[in-house]
Amino acid sequence: MKERNTTSTLKRILVNCSSQAKEYGGCVAKKVPEVERDMCLKEFLALKNCMQNVCLTSVFCYIKNFSMSANASSSQLTVGLSGSGGLSHAYVQYPPLKCNLPGSRGLYYDDANKLLLSPTSDQVFSWKTVPFSPHVAATADYINEGPVLSIRYSLDAKSIAVHRSNQEIQFFQRETRETFTHMCKSESESILGFFWTDCPVCDLVVVKTSGLDLLTVSFTSKSVNLVETKKLSVNWYVYTHGSRLVLLASGMQCKTLTGFQLSSVGIVRLPRFEMVMAKSDANSKPVLAAEDVFIITVYGRIYCLQIDRVAMQLHSYRFYRDAVVQQGSLPMFSSKISVSVVDNVLLVHQVDARVSILYDIFEDSRAPISAPLPLLLRGLPQSHTGRPVNVGESLDRNSSNHELMFYGDDWTFLVPDLICDVASKSVWKIHLDLEVISSSSSEVPSNLEFLQRRKLEASKTKQLCLAITRAFILERRPVTMVAKAIDVLVSSYSHSVKTCSNLKETKVDEASASVGTNASNSSRSAKDESRVGVGDKSFNLSASDSDDQSREIDSRDLQKSGKENLLGAESSRGEVQSSSLHTQQLGLGNNQLNANNSERQDSQLTSPAISPDEMYSCVFVPVGEEIVGDPSYLVAIIVEFLRSTNSEKIKVRPNIYVFTIQLLVRYERFAELSLLIINKVLEPSKEVAMQLLESGHQNPQMRKLALDMLRQLSLHHDYVTLLVQDGCYLEALRYARKHKVTSVRPSLFLEAALASKDSQHLAAVLRFFSDFIAGFRNTPEYQDYFRILNEMNTGLAV
Amino acid sequence: MGLASVNTASEGMQLCIFDLRRGQQEGQELDKILFFFPADLPFATQLSVIGLSEGLITFTRIFSPDAACEVIEAERHSHVFYEAESDIWMVMVVDKSKESKAACQVDALRKVLKEVHSLFVLFHGTMRSMLEKETSGGLIRSHLYPFITDYLSDFLIGRKLQLPSFHDCLMERGTVQMLTVGREAAIEVQSLVKVLECSAGTTSCYSLVLFQDLLVSTTLSPDDTISLFTYAVLRLTPHALSSGATSWSYLQRTNAGSQVPALSTITNSGSVSDNIYRSRDASLDQENNCQVKRPLHHNRWFRGNDGFLASDIWGTDNGSQTSVTPIVYLQLTEERMYLCAYQHKSLTIILLVPVSSILNGEQGLSLVKQQVLENASLKMLMVEEKLSKGWGGENAYHVSGYRYLLVDDERVSRASPPAKVMTLAKESLLALSKLREEVNLEKKRAKCSSSEVNCDKELEICVRAKNGAWVIARTSRGKELYMVLEKASETLLYAADSVEKFSNRYCSGVFSLD
Repeated sequence: MKERNTTSTLKRILVNCSSQAKEYGGCVAKKVPEVERDMCLKEFLALKNCMQNVCLTSVFCYIKNFSMSANASSSQLTVGLSGSGGLSHAYVQYPPLKCNLPGSRGLYYDDANKLLLSPTSDQVFSWKTVPFSPHVAATADYINEGPVLSIRYSLDAKSIAVHRSNQEIQFFQRETRETFTHMCKSESESILGFFWTDCPVCDLVVVKTSGLDLLTVSFTSKSVNLVETKKLSVNWYVYTHGSRLVLLASGMQCKTLTGFQLSSVGIVRLPRFEMVMAKSDANSKPVLAAEDVFIITVYGRIYCLQIDRVAMQLHSYRFYRDAVVQQGSLPMFSSKISVSVVDNVLLVHQVDARVSILYDIFEDSRAPISAPLPLLLRGLPQSHTGRPVNVGESLDRNSSNHELMFYGDDWTFLVPDLICDVASKSVWKIHLDLEVISSSSSEVPSNLEFLQRRKLEASKTKQLCLAITRAFILERRPVTMVAKAIDVLVSSYSHSVKTCSNLKETKVDEASASVGTNASNSSRSAKDESRVGVGDKSFNLSASDSDDQSREIDSRDLQKSGKENLLGAESSRGEVQSSSLHTQQLGLGNNQLNANNSERQDSQLTSPAISPDEMYSCVFVPVGEEIVGDPSYLVAIIVEFLRSTNSEKIKVRPNIYVFTIQLLVRYERFAELSLLIINKVLEPSKEVAMQLLESGHQNPQMRKLALDMLRQLSLHHDYVTLLVQDGCYLEALRYARKHKVTSVRPSLFLEAALASKDSQHLAAVLRFFSDFIAGFRNTPEYQDYFRILNEMNTGLAV
Repeated sequence: MGLASVNTASEGMQLCIFDLRRGQQEGQELDKILFFFPADLPFATQLSVIGLSEGLITFTRIFSPDAACEVIEAERHSHVFYEAESDIWMVMVVDKSKESKAACQVDALRKVLKEVHSLFVLFHGTMRSMLEKETSGGLIRSHLYPFITDYLSDFLIGRKLQLPSFHDCLMERGTVQMLTVGREAAIEVQSLVKVLECSAGTTSCYSLVLFQDLLVSTTLSPDDTISLFTYAVLRLTPHALSSGATSWSYLQRTNAGSQVPALSTITNSGSVSDNIYRSRDASLDQENNCQVKRPLHHNRWFRGNDGFLASDIWGTDNGSQTSVTPIVYLQLTEERMYLCAYQHKSLTIILLVPVSSILNGEQGLSLVKQQVLENASLKMLMVEEKLSKGWGGENAYHVSGYRYLLVDDERVSRASPPAKVMTLAKESLLALSKLREEVNLEKKRAKCSSSEVNCDKELEICVRAKNGAWVIARTSRGKELYMVLEKASETLLYAADSVEKFSNRYCSGVFSLD
């Protein structure tokens, strides 16, 4: 197994450190067969350095495989935790949640209520893990003394059920401290476990060797009533509340599984299916254990992962309402495997190899999204950050010098994203470092796709997406590639806009969403996600009083994003100022935009989707400032963006059109511009028309287009005013008469007529207004021009 | 026989190009003549035509130094003048036959001159620069002769040169015809154009996209667009390539029957001209003569396997067997560009790549082509599909009941399909032809008198023709509308109403003011 492990890593290293490896290999080859200690030390150190860089402090680089000196091998483990400065795709944040109590009899996790439970002799202490905070206070409830096999709070948190023995479950009501006991009826069967459910027919499900008992619990009668029994011989079972799915294993090898989904819409029995188990030889019959099966919920879909120790593969199955479909396998590099799901990303912890591999199983892809790297510890107090933290080092002096062992035997991975260190009684939450993950991917479109699917820390993800897109464009990548990236962003936005309304609907009547397992799952998972999202926010808030590093990162990001917004606003305002005609209007628009932005950032986002406005202010405008020379590349990208929004039927605000016009005008690409206008690629609007007018000084064709646009938009007032400005006052009059435009001051027309020095025209205009506007004859304007007209006529007569 | 004999027999027309800066000394008058058609006319006759023209130019310049004479109407001839470049004049002498008396459209003829000149400049650069390059004039003569005879052969119908007449008054030469596309298709086209430009690697390349014989997109300046569009429709579009098929575009109305004599006459007359010029210009060596390219030569373009159009007009590359890519000159910047044309079904894409940006000639160019295919071929398929889905066919722009011509800014035009115009009575067309002359005159006057006012002349004329048809012209803000309504009823009100309806429906109300 280790062989396989190292070869794949080796390949990666050799690609990146080929020159160093060659040198070292050459050196060794020269001296072989006289191998001795510290041989080729210089070359080795160079190679080691390179490898450490390549692996991003990965323990996976089994340096000791190469090491010829004892020194090197000792450095192996320090690499894994080289302090808070190290990079990793996933990390845990210091400090952990400490659940250390005197007299504790073990730690239990209630995944339905997301509670960490620690019973003592007569009490049970519980810590909320959602929202995750290391400083959350424990609440205590009284229970009777006795053995505890497992313990779970009811879903309404009013009562506690304690699994006492194979035959007995005891119930406590928290308020009244009433209690009663439920016993197994026959001696032949024993209770394997139980869980509370929100299924409409029952409250509690007890899994026994003979099958499932669906029970209702009543404290008034101090009894449980059996609602239904599902007869089945059961060896062991797996249940997660997130999926509401219980898998019951039966058969000699325990590889025949039957599933029930007990959700709020009812009970669904899944078809029985067999797990795939490779045999080491014909006669061996490996037995599947409960620890080898994981139920995970990703993107609202339910999967089951099963360890096949012989084949060293992790098989995955996807559950549908009427079928279980094997989906393919993931490789195993360790005999001990555990899984977590963080933000719909599957983390497969190769415990022995001390690394975690990330998978995004959105589209049946089995490729890991990043290199195998260990989890990292972040946010250690100052005294520790000076030097790298050794795994063996004590992290908490108060905890009786207990040692934190990463991927140690004491680690228990809790569903979905917690790690419980049983020995030190501390709980860690796994976070993803999206920045590191995305920086390790060179394929920007798929990387953006991945990021857009992340729901936790949405605003941070969004800023990351924007930064990636900006950089991608600034690097002048091929337009087709950028177009792909933009397609990803736009379709993700359109999706988020569409699902926003859907989400509400499913929440309102969840019962109606009983179309299938998928549908009900997705609604549920959506609910879960939103809950998690809210939780995350308050986590950030509560974490703010301790000066840990993640907060620093956060605030830095926020500052950065704030500055970018500011920049965007400034730039666009600057451009707007140049166009005097519509400064006010656009300026207003921009301010609104910023306000929206900051508001949106303040309130926790549920999706990192990027709206067209944000594309404009955070991508196109900053890029437009940085790009020097010909703008056709940027225009090409904007056209791709418009194509994308058009195909997704998303409305784009005129500011992006105005921006495009400014770009094209700056480099006098009038032919292209007029085509874009004529074909309505840049949709007509008042802002666009005004910008075109602005460019009309350089090219009369643009002015014409602007006028046509104004007329087509029926902006009569502006049209007439511009006609008069052009000196076409007679035409303007005709237009005014036809469309009843009375808002333009008559004096404008009269001045224009006077400027033409044609007394007949002046008379005509004067006459027109005295007919057109009631009471015009009584205005001083009329008098003035009447006098002027008379003077002109007498002048002519003389 | 040959074109020359055909023409002298049918006494159709004479066309000459001369340079006023040359041959000013007595006895060197022949030096002025850069081109004369028909070439086999005695020099004495040629010189008398040119002498008359020159005299008139000199005389009228006294009164109007900037714009000398435009036309002389003699009893049996019309002389149409066009100053192609400064002091280089093109004069066309057209016989007035009895039937078409006063019906030849002077403006249309001048546009013919303009068109042939702009095409010549497109491929050879300006005549002046050519004259400067080779002062004896042999070079330009050897280029002009085949070029113009090739061009004129397009006007051959049977054995007669059919020059624009009153029949063609519902079309406008020297304009482009645009395809109307929806926003979605337009975005696709733009996206394709951008990909094309970017895949050529340089920022300063241009493109022209045509669908059938209609322009879809251009990034060139208006003048370059017009000349390149004209050439494309004449020689590159699918219609032009399949020479047997008759096209509905006015630019190429030659049919299969006319091709054969045209070609034969050209080769014949070419030899005649060679003899003439060689006898006169001893300096013109054989080598030079061989290098004369004939971009308007018929049936010389074909579609290659890779979808790019190729032609042997410019010879083949020495190293490989690929044909040499033509080079064209842009008018505004005088940049030299490689002309690459790609065709997929009805879609023709012309990509102009600066010569200066391609280092190793054909090899570099084929690399660019390859890149274009790699990046854009999918997009081209999609655009073609989208455009042909939205296309209404040859009669797409026919509006029943109306026969119209719409000219925008003297650059873009749209007209009733020629087949529909054919249904009009002769009287209507004659009336319209007359009306157009009037409007042109009026336009010129407006331009002269109000040069400082940028407001274009507003004009509205309705004429009742002898046969009772309404012939209408309207101009507004640089846009012109000409219309014949044969089935309109008696009243002017009705006719005006029809125009209003048309304007609102098809011109977004440009011509409806009251």
